[in-house]
Amino acid sequence: MAEIPRDSVQVQAMLRKLADELLDSLKAWDTVAFIGIRTGGDLIARSLVRLLEERTGKRVPVGVLDITLYRDDITRRRAYPEVKSTDIPFAVDGKDIILVDDVLHTGRSIRAAIDHIVDLGRPGRIFLLVMFDRGGRELPIQADFTGMKISLPDEKVIKLEPDAGKESIAGVIISEVKR
Amino acid sequence: MNWPHKDIVAIADLSREEIYTILDMSTSFKEISKRDIKKVPTLRGKTVVLLFYEASTRTRLSFELAAKRLSADTTALSASGSSFQKGETIMDAAFNVMAMAPDCIVIRYPYAGLPRKLARELPCSIINAGDGTHEHPTQALLDMYSMREHFGTLEGLQVAIVGDIAHSRVARSNVYGLQKVGAHVTVVAPKTLLPPGVRTWGVDVSCDFDPVIQEADVIMMLRVQRERIDEQCFPDEREYAYFYGLNKRRVDMMKPGAVIMHPGPMNRGVEITHDAADGNRSIILNQVENGVAVRMTLLYLSLGGNVNGD
Repeated sequence: MAEIPRDSVQVQAMLRKLADELLDSLKAWDTVAFIGIRTGGDLIARSLVRLLEERTGKRVPVGVLDITLYRDDITRRRAYPEVKSTDIPFAVDGKDIILVDDVLHTGRSIRAAIDHIVDLGRPGRIFLLVMFDRGGRELPIQADFTGMKISLPDEKVIKLEPDAGKESIAGVIISEVKR
Repeated sequence: MNWPHKDIVAIADLSREEIYTILDMSTSFKEISKRDIKKVPTLRGKTVVLLFYEASTRTRLSFELAAKRLSADTTALSASGSSFQKGETIMDAAFNVMAMAPDCIVIRYPYAGLPRKLARELPCSIINAGDGTHEHPTQALLDMYSMREHFGTLEGLQVAIVGDIAHSRVARSNVYGLQKVGAHVTVVAPKTLLPPGVRTWGVDVSCDFDPVIQEADVIMMLRVQRERIDEQCFPDEREYAYFYGLNKRRVDMMKPGAVIMHPGPMNRGVEITHDAADGNRSIILNQVENGVAVRMTLLYLSLGGNVNGD
């Protein structure tokens, strides 16, 4: 298994590889739109869209999804998840949505995100793109585009670190779960 | 984030930070009401009972829509048509409602203090939708939300609350809240409609409306609460309107950018004229729109997490 990218240079290489894959598989860009799951997915979606707009010369719409209200564990948690805004500046109807998240683990966040998107309209298709797939699924959900499959012990979490302007990814942090 | 309150009984119980948490979150909830599908699954399986022992249009509908848009089940009961008319005491009624296991009771009652008592005695969340002349916390929160939405900040805002201050729970809740967030409040009323002890509220008090108008960023008009007034407080409505009504002449005296608010229901021709209520300075209907969002936030905070933490 390849080494997990840690700095921005390695992350950029991975993003370019994902952009190549997207350009190979998606032919008609007129209906494509990106939706990132707050906050890691949002960062990746915006970084990818910048790369793709350079390569295709087309404007690619991008939005951000807050899935807090769609979680299945709201009444089980001690702390209240803070509700932030969803901001999708385009109609999702008929669009080919690339749903973007940083880490695919149990699949529960993706379930919540899909439920949220279908409340906003009826997309043509929804694809799933993730930076890291760490296994451990609890729902039958798989990614269409994966940056890297990784294996991590349960007590570790992997997160993206934004740069100071919160516009691009400065690095990847692996830390212990806070209990 | 930790939310320490089981209940929302009074603005007096909330800290400045907690008020801002509610206001910040409400923007996210407001977006839901603008969607085609105005519903999120957040409070699925939760039951909200609305007990209204006093007339209400806005507040009751607003709470009911807020709960439904969060997927909670709601049942509303009003005084007429309930066993209240057969002589059942309010505490008996409350224990009977509790036996049916609601997660939240939204209560409006004509006398002060009942929501606090229910909050102490019942295990479910209690939200005060107005108790006598005590408090109407959700109204004050939606008012503060509407002011901040319009002006971008609450700090330093000059707010005039005008009318029946003595009988107004809206005035009390707004005074407590606005002071916590750093706004400056002036209450305006004839002496007969000022409550005893108003000088201890820490607000400016005036019996003369005109000089206050020119200073205020927000003019909040209150209804004369005929149902709570048992003696004559002013000669007649025409005279009240002349001295304390917001009419065209007074609207023209307002500061550029200043806005008009009213918690409803309005008595047109008494405390407010058509020119003021329907003109371009009025944000009265924005208040109503924001009420649903703010109440969604309060239901989410009161019911969304597990208070016991297990």
